[in-house]
Amino acid sequence: MEPTQNTNPASPDAPSDRGDLVTTTAEGAKGPISLEALMAGDEKAFEQLVIQESPRLFRVIVRIVGDDDEAASILQETFLQAFQRINTFRRESKLTTWLYAIGINLARASLRKSRRLSSLEDQEVERMQPDFNRGMFVETPAVWDPARVTELADRRQLVRRGIEQLPEDYKTVLVLRDIEEYSTEEVANMLGISSGAVRVRLHRARGALRKLLDPHMRRLPKD
Amino acid sequence: MKFITALKTALGMAPGCEQVNEFLAEYVEGTLDEKMRAQFQEHMDMCKCCDHYLDQYRHTIQLTKETDEISVPSELAEHTLAFLRKSNAFASDQDAASS
Ligand SMILES: [Zn+2]
Repeated sequence: MEPTQNTNPASPDAPSDRGDLVTTTAEGAKGPISLEALMAGDEKAFEQLVIQESPRLFRVIVRIVGDDDEAASILQETFLQAFQRINTFRRESKLTTWLYAIGINLARASLRKSRRLSSLEDQEVERMQPDFNRGMFVETPAVWDPARVTELADRRQLVRRGIEQLPEDYKTVLVLRDIEEYSTEEVANMLGISSGAVRVRLHRARGALRKLLDPHMRRLPKD
Repeated sequence: MKFITALKTALGMAPGCEQVNEFLAEYVEGTLDEKMRAQFQEHMDMCKCCDHYLDQYRHTIQLTKETDEISVPSELAEHTLAFLRKSNAFASDQDAASS
C-alpha cells in the first residue's frame, strides 16, 4: 500500500511556482489577483479569490462528500481558514493548490465523521484489478460496445454512482486528475503524498471503475 | 514476428500483460520513454487481452470526464462572503457592522 499521510497541505518539497499572481480559472475571468495583496490581508483581493475559486472548489468537495449543503458549508470553512492562515502560505506551491489542500482535508474529515456513503473497501479495489498468472491475463477482458459507451442513456449516472462508491482516497485522486484535470504534481501537493502514490491510486481507481462499468458496457450477444 | 515477441515475453525479455498493465496510465498519457513504448506497442499488437483492456481503460477515462455535471448554486460565492463577514473574518467589516 502506498503512503497515505494527508495531513500536510501543500508539502514544503512542492515544485516551486512562485509567480506573484494567482492564475485565474475558467470561471472567474476577472484578471489576476495580486498575491502580495492577499498576503497583506487585503479583503478586496480575498473577495476576488472567493468569487474565482468557489465554483471549482465546490464541485471537488461535492464529489468527495456527496452532499451539496455539506459541501457549501465546507467551502465556507475552507475560505475562513485560508483567510486566517494566509500568513502560513509558504509560496512553495500555487496559492490555489494550498487552498484546495485545506478544502480537501476538511471534506475528508467530514466524510470520515459522517460515514454517509457505503463505499467499497480498499481490499475490494484490489480485488477489482485484473488477475494475472505468470504475468499474463487469466481471462480475456470483454469487448465493450462503442454504441453503449457513447449512447447508453444512463451512462453519466452510472459513472457518477461508480465514482461515489470508490474509497475516498481513490475517489479524490480520480476527481482531481480525470475530471478537474490537475497535473499529477499538483494533486500530489494538494494531498501531501508523492507523485508515485498519485499514479498508483489513479490507476487502481480507473481499474475499479472499469470493473463496475464492465457489465453495462459489454457488447450484447446477438440472438 | 509475433512468435518472436511471444518467445521474448516467455523468456522474460519483453514485458508481459501484468507489466504492461502496471504502466498503462503512463502509456495512455504518452509519458513512457521511447524504448518502453516500443516494447508496449509490440505486446499490444500480439495480445488481444491487453488490447481489449486498454480499450476499456480508455473508455473509462472518457466516461469519467463526461460524468454528470455538478450544478453550482448561483449564490455560492455571495453566501460564502456573507459567512466570512458574519464570522468577523474581515476586520473592517467588523468595524462597519458595529457602527
Ligand atoms: Zn497482454
